[in-house]
Amino acid sequence: MNKENTEVLFGLYDDETDLLKAVKVAKDDHLDIMDVFTPFPVHGLDPLLGLSESRLHIAGFIYGAIGTLTAFLFMTWVFTRDWPIIFGGKPYFSAPAFIPITFELTVLFAAVGMVVTFYIICGLGPGVVNPSLDDRITDDKFCIAFDTSNADESVVEKLKSFFSSTGASEVNTKTI
Amino acid sequence: MNQFVLEAKHRTLLLTGVGIGVLCLVLTFLGDDELHTRFWSNYLHNTVFFLGIAFMAVFVQSAFITAWAGWYTSFKRVWEAASTFLVPALILMIPIIAGLWGHFHHLYHWADAESVANDPVLQGKSSFLNTSWYTFGTLIIVGTWIFFGYKLRSLSLQEDKMAQTADFKIHKQVRIWAAAFLPIAGFSSAAVIWQWVMSVDAHWYSTLFAWYTAVSWFVSLMALTILCLIFMKGKGYFESVTDEHMHDLGKYLFAFSIFWTYLWFSQFMLIWYANVGEETVYFQTRMEQYPVLFYGNLLLNFITPFFVLMRNDTKRKYGTLAFVSITVLIGHWWDFFQMIKPGVLHTAHEVMAHGHGAEGGHHAAGFLMGFTIPGLLEIGTFIGFLSGFILYFFSQLAKEPLHPTNDPYIEESLHHHV
Repeated sequence: MNKENTEVLFGLYDDETDLLKAVKVAKDDHLDIMDVFTPFPVHGLDPLLGLSESRLHIAGFIYGAIGTLTAFLFMTWVFTRDWPIIFGGKPYFSAPAFIPITFELTVLFAAVGMVVTFYIICGLGPGVVNPSLDDRITDDKFCIAFDTSNADESVVEKLKSFFSSTGASEVNTKTI
Repeated sequence: MNQFVLEAKHRTLLLTGVGIGVLCLVLTFLGDDELHTRFWSNYLHNTVFFLGIAFMAVFVQSAFITAWAGWYTSFKRVWEAASTFLVPALILMIPIIAGLWGHFHHLYHWADAESVANDPVLQGKSSFLNTSWYTFGTLIIVGTWIFFGYKLRSLSLQEDKMAQTADFKIHKQVRIWAAAFLPIAGFSSAAVIWQWVMSVDAHWYSTLFAWYTAVSWFVSLMALTILCLIFMKGKGYFESVTDEHMHDLGKYLFAFSIFWTYLWFSQFMLIWYANVGEETVYFQTRMEQYPVLFYGNLLLNFITPFFVLMRNDTKRKYGTLAFVSITVLIGHWWDFFQMIKPGVLHTAHEVMAHGHGAEGGHHAAGFLMGFTIPGLLEIGTFIGFLSGFILYFFSQLAKEPLHPTNDPYIEESLHHHV
């Protein structure tokens, strides 16, 4: 996506069912889809495109586990070594009292860690400008994009006929 | 296959299970102390556990109907059939109620007149913890549950037989009954849980207890639903129930196991932190004298479902789902065991000390088997009640077609995708 000067041929569809049918046709015809853009997650699109399951949740588990350990070990260290105080007649090491904060830090680490990881993977962040093919794909249009930088005329024609046969409402090109 | 038929060999197997249960109850009764503490506490434990599962079947339907949920529609007959077990469960409660009037069991400390006479705490609670309240509370509340369960089921079946009209007449009625049941279920379940389960520790109370117990029932219902669907799909029924539905049921099992742990821990931590003697005695007894029950409870009901069902694919595979369902079902039965046994044992000691038993209060050693950990007789009783539940449930399921053809949500359920 971040390559400069990529020529993109893209078709816009009005409905996600049209998009799903078109992606299926493209897969059957062995057309090399560069990317698909939708305004919301479309059920069944990922397996059609052959995308593997996201590994974000594995990262989330690791961040969560780090949060658990951080909270629990830190509290253990503070209350047994660094600054032991007796609260309510409880022993210095009072595991039940540590559980709520351990839980909260687990959630915090997992959540923040996953958001940051997701932003890095997607190349998002403050000040980053990502080229957009068409603003309407964030609103009500569903888009299939092909990389046509090195494609010859016959391939482009074939793609255009694919778009018209699958009911794309518009076909455009853009260099990004 | 739209019509479920219970095969003869399965019927025989389930009847054998019921036989084992009855045999174990008889053996428990014969080998028991003179108050029959072990027999009555096993009987109460299993009756309340399975009654609650049937109640939760009514509650889950009501909640899902009110929330406009459509995904469960293709297997909603399962919950409709499970809710009918309330009728035999209420009949099973009758010996316990009769025992309160006839004083032939000593499950409840507050039911022992001599104890109450010398105990200001029990006297203070006697306006709620008394035989009349127990009797009529149980009859009226479970009767109401039976009525609502019957109403939801019969309307759903009626909807099937007559074509759905454009104005969704029957479905609108279902929605009203379902919504009406939710507040009734919330308050009434708390009242009977206090009476049936929490009052075995008559001096102790916890405001979270009703939630915690009700969630135990809920998780057990989900586990039984998953096991039933896996079994029936293996026999070729419920073709329209796909991995997507199992995934959602797995999520319920996972999420509510965590919710159960949340409530369990909230109850524990507040009592532990405040350190008020009247409250901590409940956990003191369990942690000191019943460590296997106490910590095993968390292992079965939190650690196992949490770590096994955390991943996406384990909620879609029948092997892992069945494993967790069985673990959690046993786990919540175990949970009820440790809620009921210590309190009943304590009451038995008190009653014996009043001279009802020849050996007075020095009976502790004889009691321990079947109290600090479920013994073989307890496991046999559990098998008996479980077989009875499943037998009744299957015979109800076999009476009606499995596929709700005219439910307005059936299309949504057939195309369910998570």
